[in-house]
Amino acid sequence: MKTVMIILSFVLISGYGANAQQVRNFVLNDLQNKSRSFDELKGEKLTLLDFWASWCKPCNKAIPELNKLYSKFQGKGVNLIGINCDGPRSVAKVAPLSKSLQIEYPVLLDMNAELMNDLNLSAYPTLLMVNSSGKVVWIHEGYVPGDEMVIQKEIEKQLSKL
Amino acid sequence: MNRKILFLLLSLSVFSPELRAQLSGQNLMEYQYGRLPDEPGSSFSTIYDRFLLDYSLKGFKAGGTLEQFYSPFETRNYTRLAQYRLHFNSKPLELKIGHFYETIGRGLMLRSYEIPGAILEDKSYRSRQYFHRDLLGFTAKFRHKGFTAKMLYGKPLINVLPPTFKEKDRRLDRIAAVQADYSIKGQLLGAAMMQLDNASGKSWFAMTNASGNIFPYLAYYTELVKNTGEFAITDFSSAASFAFYGNLNLSFDQFGLSAEYKNYNNFLLGSGFNEPPALVREHSYKVLNRSTHVLQPQNEKGFQFEGFINFTDESALTLNYTRAVNDFGRKSVFQEYFAEYSFSLKEKHDLKLFADWAQDPFKLEKDRLSSGFYADWKLGNTTSINTSYEFQTFNRSGNAAQNQVFSAGVSIKSKFSGYVITEWSNDPVIVEKGSKFWLGAGLKYKMNSRHSLQFFAGERRGGPACNSGVCYEVLDFKGVELRLSSRF
Repeated sequence: MKTVMIILSFVLISGYGANAQQVRNFVLNDLQNKSRSFDELKGEKLTLLDFWASWCKPCNKAIPELNKLYSKFQGKGVNLIGINCDGPRSVAKVAPLSKSLQIEYPVLLDMNAELMNDLNLSAYPTLLMVNSSGKVVWIHEGYVPGDEMVIQKEIEKQLSKL
Repeated sequence: MNRKILFLLLSLSVFSPELRAQLSGQNLMEYQYGRLPDEPGSSFSTIYDRFLLDYSLKGFKAGGTLEQFYSPFETRNYTRLAQYRLHFNSKPLELKIGHFYETIGRGLMLRSYEIPGAILEDKSYRSRQYFHRDLLGFTAKFRHKGFTAKMLYGKPLINVLPPTFKEKDRRLDRIAAVQADYSIKGQLLGAAMMQLDNASGKSWFAMTNASGNIFPYLAYYTELVKNTGEFAITDFSSAASFAFYGNLNLSFDQFGLSAEYKNYNNFLLGSGFNEPPALVREHSYKVLNRSTHVLQPQNEKGFQFEGFINFTDESALTLNYTRAVNDFGRKSVFQEYFAEYSFSLKEKHDLKLFADWAQDPFKLEKDRLSSGFYADWKLGNTTSINTSYEFQTFNRSGNAAQNQVFSAGVSIKSKFSGYVITEWSNDPVIVEKGSKFWLGAGLKYKMNSRHSLQFFAGERRGGPACNSGVCYEVLDFKGVELRLSSRF
């Protein structure tokens, strides 16, 4: 009983804590082996980080929609960065798949999922919306058709606050 | 000790709003009431919890992970500080002390990982733990322009042993490694040295890798690792210990091709902390994910080709061919052909069709044929109905065996989903006589972006499963399961 109470208290604390997730500057290689940092790529107002993997079907389904959102908001201080988390088993497929999906935004490789673990993320795909000071202002897990409208509304909502 | 840890974590969490503003964390709680269907005895309750808390200040981050498991069986239960860490991160320098994850190259020499959301349970110990393989020690990484240097010292975790074992028994290997790479004009050249120290003595390994673009549409990666302490550097005989991996990538507009080659010989290091790429496709379809060929790094050669075309109407075709040869006195050849086509109907409904044929002498599966479909029927802007059916048949020691999976579900936005899944099998390895039927149902509700709730009731079929590139054994389960995930 005592154990259950302790575990439940952790669950409650998780709900009580402030939403303080912060993206610290990170450096990862892109598909051309170049080191790229978050500070160098982040948007002036908002940055969207899309955590995806080649074997994740909803991730691949979301990419054409993210491409459209990237084109729409690119000139409005919003940038999108794809963070690919394929491990050694499937990372060889990422570059040709990214090209065949015609991804227009930068894709960085997080083969060891270090950034994903650092941000305590646990699902594919996960989309983080980060403001100019690095604070995570919105998180969206998974993708079903129609979610692109939810994401667009949230971008517009966050931009209107600035 | 445990009370002190609990007190410290609780105090940090509730102390003050200023402090909370620097804190982030995660909690995963899973309650189960049930049993293994093929084991005698009645159902019982278990609870697993993983609480992770981090404090960040500028480039520093410090934190810990508390893991607990409780059941009616005292020997399976534990509360322990599973991880503690101190990280410093700046553009040129990265330092990690405590528990950390690190992979050298493509994992031929060293691979550590954390599989998000996966809880591991072994049939021998019946205790539950988070599925990860970390290192305990320290690492430092330095970057300057195209140059990167890394050094590490650590003890890798043997994750088949549950936390009820003493920490020293779960970390029998000590490794020390240095790695450096330099990028010039899109070409990356690297080298690494590693010393392994364990009860068998000390051994040395050397690695070299190169990657880059030959043309804008053609890229390559090669990596060679060799045990240089016990064998001459030029010795690639059957007695030597070495691993080679290489791949070529070709991309033309919407067409992509990846070709990979492997040659691994006597290359299971220490307690198994390395994990060379398997070059076997990780499938999302249940019958194929479960039938995966498990890599044998002691002796395996082979290659994999995968081609994909994403058409302008957003339909996509994927083709894959895999071949793996093992020679342990007797040669066995695993082969697999896979095709998948995904497309939209009336620009509204999504469909996927797949077909797969394989020969797997290791699993005694001959002429294995698998096929099926997945369909997502959109109803309005927010709701969809999904259905899937998978069929598999093969010959095992002269007997025809079949597996079937059917599922149906509903999704409302990404907020709510529910499903029913049934499986049927007459595989003699699973059921001694006749056939078996599994029935389960689940619900997922995302309360907000920080909390989600998952519920399962019924019977779940276990077996090998591959997730995020790592394969492990999932136990059968019959009962109810409730999972609450929180992030803050």
